Amino acid sequence: MADNPIYEDLSPVQKRAKKIFVAVEILFVFILFYYWKIQILDYRMYWKLAEQNRIRETVLIPPRGLITDRGGVLLAQNIGSFTASIIPENTPNLEESLAGIGLLLDIPLDELRRRVERYGRQPAFKAVPVKDNLNLKEVSRIEARQLEFPELVIVAEPKRFYPFGSRASHLLGYLQEISVAELKNEAFHDRHLGDLIGKTGLEAEYESYLVGRSGRLVEIVDSRGRRQGEVERRDSQSSPPLELNLDFDLQARAEDLLAGREGVAVVLDLKSGGVLAMASYPNFDPNNFINRFTPEEWKSLVSRPDFPLENRAIRGLYAPGSIFKLTMGLAGLNEGVIDDRTSVFCGGQVTLYGQSFSCWAEGGHGSQNLTEAIRNSCNIFFYNLGKKLSIDDIARHAELYGFGHRTGIDLPGEKEGLVPTPEWKKAARNAPWFPGETISVSIGQGPLLVTPLQVAAHTGFIALRGRVFTPRLLMSPGFLRRSGAPRLNADLLLREDIKRHNFDKIIRGMWESVNRQGTGRGARVEGFDVCGKTGSTQTVSALTADRLARQQREIKTHSWFTGFAPRDDPEVAVTILVEYGGMGGETAAPLAGELFALYRRLMSGKR
Amino acid sequence: MINRNLLMEVDWLLIGILLLNSLLGCLFVYSASHHLTGPYHLRQILWIVVSLAALAAILVVDYKTLIAYAPFFYGAGILMLVGLLVGGRLIAGTKSWFRVASLGFQPSELMKVFLILMLAKLFADYRRNTLSAAMALLSGGLVGMPLVLVVMQPDLGTAVSYLPIFLSVFILAGMSRKMAVVLLLLAIGLAILSWNVFLHDYQKQRLMTLISPGHDPQGAGYQIQQSKIAIGSGGLLGKGFKQGSQSQLNFLPARHTDFIFAVLGEERGFVGILAVMGAFFLLLFRLFRTVPLARDRAGVYVVFLSAVLISFQFLVNILMVVGLFPVAGVPLPLLSYGGSSLLTTYLCVGLAINVRMRRFANV
Repeated sequence: MADNPIYEDLSPVQKRAKKIFVAVEILFVFILFYYWKIQILDYRMYWKLAEQNRIRETVLIPPRGLITDRGGVLLAQNIGSFTASIIPENTPNLEESLAGIGLLLDIPLDELRRRVERYGRQPAFKAVPVKDNLNLKEVSRIEARQLEFPELVIVAEPKRFYPFGSRASHLLGYLQEISVAELKNEAFHDRHLGDLIGKTGLEAEYESYLVGRSGRLVEIVDSRGRRQGEVERRDSQSSPPLELNLDFDLQARAEDLLAGREGVAVVLDLKSGGVLAMASYPNFDPNNFINRFTPEEWKSLVSRPDFPLENRAIRGLYAPGSIFKLTMGLAGLNEGVIDDRTSVFCGGQVTLYGQSFSCWAEGGHGSQNLTEAIRNSCNIFFYNLGKKLSIDDIARHAELYGFGHRTGIDLPGEKEGLVPTPEWKKAARNAPWFPGETISVSIGQGPLLVTPLQVAAHTGFIALRGRVFTPRLLMSPGFLRRSGAPRLNADLLLREDIKRHNFDKIIRGMWESVNRQGTGRGARVEGFDVCGKTGSTQTVSALTADRLARQQREIKTHSWFTGFAPRDDPEVAVTILVEYGGMGGETAAPLAGELFALYRRLMSGKR
Repeated sequence: MINRNLLMEVDWLLIGILLLNSLLGCLFVYSASHHLTGPYHLRQILWIVVSLAALAAILVVDYKTLIAYAPFFYGAGILMLVGLLVGGRLIAGTKSWFRVASLGFQPSELMKVFLILMLAKLFADYRRNTLSAAMALLSGGLVGMPLVLVVMQPDLGTAVSYLPIFLSVFILAGMSRKMAVVLLLLAIGLAILSWNVFLHDYQKQRLMTLISPGHDPQGAGYQIQQSKIAIGSGGLLGKGFKQGSQSQLNFLPARHTDFIFAVLGEERGFVGILAVMGAFFLLLFRLFRTVPLARDRAGVYVVFLSAVLISFQFLVNILMVVGLFPVAGVPLPLLSYGGSSLLTTYLCVGLAINVRMRRFANV
C-alpha cells in the first residue's frame, strides 16, 4: 500500500504547504497596510519631501564663440535676450492658461498650442519656450502678471547678434532651431529640442567649435522651481574667438560697390590664400530671423526671386566667358600648339565646321598674337586655338587649373561647376559632342560653368605662376582643419605639362589689358601694376540673342573682371561678377579698380 | 503527448494573469526608461514572446518525464555556472551573463527551475513524514552548490532567492524542532562568518541601512529614501503616467528593473499598488490551490516550490522598495525589466500548470 503512488497519503505535506501560504497571506496583508500607511496616511509628508527634493538638471550653454575679422572687428557676438517659457505642470488647466497667455503675449491660441505640442514629449515639469526675443515692455508685462500665471517664466539667455547686420552675412551664416531630423544625427547627440545651431556659412562650418563646451548644473529645487541647494556644477566654457582672414573695410567696400545690383566680389590674399573679402549681393540681415518661432522673415527671403540667401560666390554658376581665354592660352602653350610668335588674323568673323563665328569687335582686330589677343579679348584667336586643341585637352587643363571641382574653402555648400566633356554630354544629355561646341567652350561659353570663387582662385594660380592654394576664411591655423579637405595638390609646377615660363606670357597679356588700353583698362591703379582680364557672357542662347537683336532689344550680358596685382610679386587677387552688368570692361573692371586701390591704401597704412 | 482533453485542463486564468502583469510591466518599463537609449520596453515584449513559447513547450512534456531528466538539467545548469566563472565576461561588476546577440541571459535564473525539478525528483520517493538528517544534508548540498557558485559571481540578489527553495523544502519534508534549532544556530554562525569574511562593504552597508535608513541619506540609504518618497508622494491615485517627478529624474537607479514598483507607486498611486498586489495574490492563491490537486508527491513539490519562489521574490521586492528589506537586487517578477527573470517565472508557472492538467492521468 505504501508503495502505491495513487493511494499515497500526501495530507501532511499538503497541510504544511497550506501553512506556508497562510504565512504569505499574512505578509500580503501586512505589506498592504504598510503601503496604505505610506501612501494614504503619510501622503502629505512624502508629497512635501518629493516637492522639496526635486533635482533640476540644467545644461549650461556657454555663450557662442565670437567671430572677428583680421583686425579684431567683432562680426558675430552675443547679447542678452529674454525668452518666455511655460512649465505645464504649474497650471491646473493648461488649456485655460494657454488662452490667457496667448492674449498676454499676443500669440494666436492655435500657434501657441502648436509650440507647446512640439515639446510634448518631455515631462510636464520642464520648461517649454513659447516666445523668444522679448522686448522690455513684454518682460515687464509678464512680470506684473506673475501671480496670475505662475506657469509662465522668463529665462534670460544669450542670443546671437551680428553688429553689422547684413555685412558678410553670407560668410557668417545664421542660426536656426535644430530640427527633429538633425537631433537624430550623431554629431548633435548632446543637443536638445529648442537649441539653435548654425545652418549655413561659418556658423555651420565651425558649429562644433563655436558651440563651446557645455557645463552641467544639478540643483535641488522645490515645486516652484525655487533653488534649495546645489548638488553638482561643471562650468561651461566658451571657445576663443574665430579670427578670420577677412578685412572688414574691404568687405564693406565690396558690398557697397555691389549695392543695387546682383553680383559678387572676391578679394584673395595671395600670400596666405586668405579670403580678404567675399561679397554676394543681394544680402540679408540674419538678426531678423534668429528666433525659434517666427521664421516668416526667413521664408519670405527664401522665396524671393533674386535669392538673397544664396552665396553667389560659391554657389552661383556662371559661364566664365572671356575669362576662360586665360585658361585656353595656358592650355595651348602647355600643349605646344601655339607659342608667343603664333598670330592669327581677325577679320571680325570666321567660319569653322560650316558655322559662322564672330568676334565682338565688328571690324576685327587684324593680326593678333597671344598677348594682343588677351589684351583685346579677341575671339577669333581663341576660336582657332580651340580648333587646334581637342575638347578633352581643354577639359584636362581646365580641371588642372582649378575648374570643375571645389576650391575647398571653409564654407558649406560650395558648388563644383562643370567642365564639359563628350562623356559628360553623353551621360547628361544623351547626345554626341559637336566640334562647334568646342569652339564655344574656347571663349568660355557653351555648357561650361564656374563659380566666382573658382575664377578668383584660378587667377591666383596664374598670378603665383602655378602654385595652387585653398582659399580660407579662417585665420587661426591648424587645429580647425576642414574635414575632407580637397587634396592640396603639391606644387603643380612639378607636373611636366605645366611650364612656368608660360605663365609670364599670359600675365603679359593681362597686364596690357589693364595698362595698355585693353578691355580691362577700367581696373587700372596708378603705380600698382594691376593685371587682369574682362569677360562678358551671353546669358541667353545664340538663337534668342539673334531674335532679340532683330527686335532691337538690348541684351545685357553678365559682366566679369578678374585680376591681380602687382605683376611681379603678386599680393592680391580680385574677381568681380555683376549679373546683367553689360560689358566686363564697363561695369566690372572699374569696381575691381576701386578694390585694388582700397587694398593698396589699407596696406600702405599698415606698413 | 498532449491531446484535446489535456488542452481543456490548461489553467488559462493563470496564463492570463501572467500576460496581463507582463504587459503592465512593459508599460512601466517604458515610463521609467523612455529617455534612456535603447528600446527597453520593446526588448521586454520580445522576451514575453520567447517566454510564452517556452511555457507552451514545457506543457507538452509530462512533468514526470521532465523530473526523470532533472539530473541532466541540473548538471547542465551547474556546468553553465562554472563556465561563467571561468570564461564569463564582467558585466556591471559580475560574471552572471551570457550574451546572445544583444540580449543578455542569466543562467543563475534558469537554475532555479532546474533546482525545483531536481528537488522534486529527490523527494518523490521519500515517504516519511519527518526530514532525516541525511536527506537534509543531500538537499542542502543540492541547493548549496549553485548558491555558492552564484555568490562567487558575485550576484547576491539571485543567490538570496535560492534560500526560500532550500528552506521551504525542509519545512515541506517535515523538519523536526531539533533540526530547526540546529539550522538556526548554523545560520547565525554562517552569518557572523560571512559578515567578517565574505560580504562586500556595499553589502554590509545595505544591511546597516535597513537598521537605520536615515543615517546616510546620500549613500546606501539614499536609494531607499528616494524610493519611499516616490511611493509615498504617489498618494491614492498617483501623479499620472510618465509624470512622476521622482521616477522621471535621475533619483532611482535601476528604476526600470528592481525599483519598477516605486515607479508604479508614484505614477499610479495606492490604487495601482492595490491592483498589482491583487493580481499577484490571485496568481499565488491559484498556485497554492494547485498543490492539493497534484496526483503525486513529485507534483506537490514542483507546484509548491514554484509558488514559494514567486511569492518570495514578489514579497521581498515590494518590501525592499519601501525599505523593509535590504536592497538585495531581487527583481519584481513579471514587471521588472529583464528577460531571464521573466522566463523563469513563466517556466515555474508552466510547471504548475503542467502538474494541474495531468492530475487525472493514469500512472
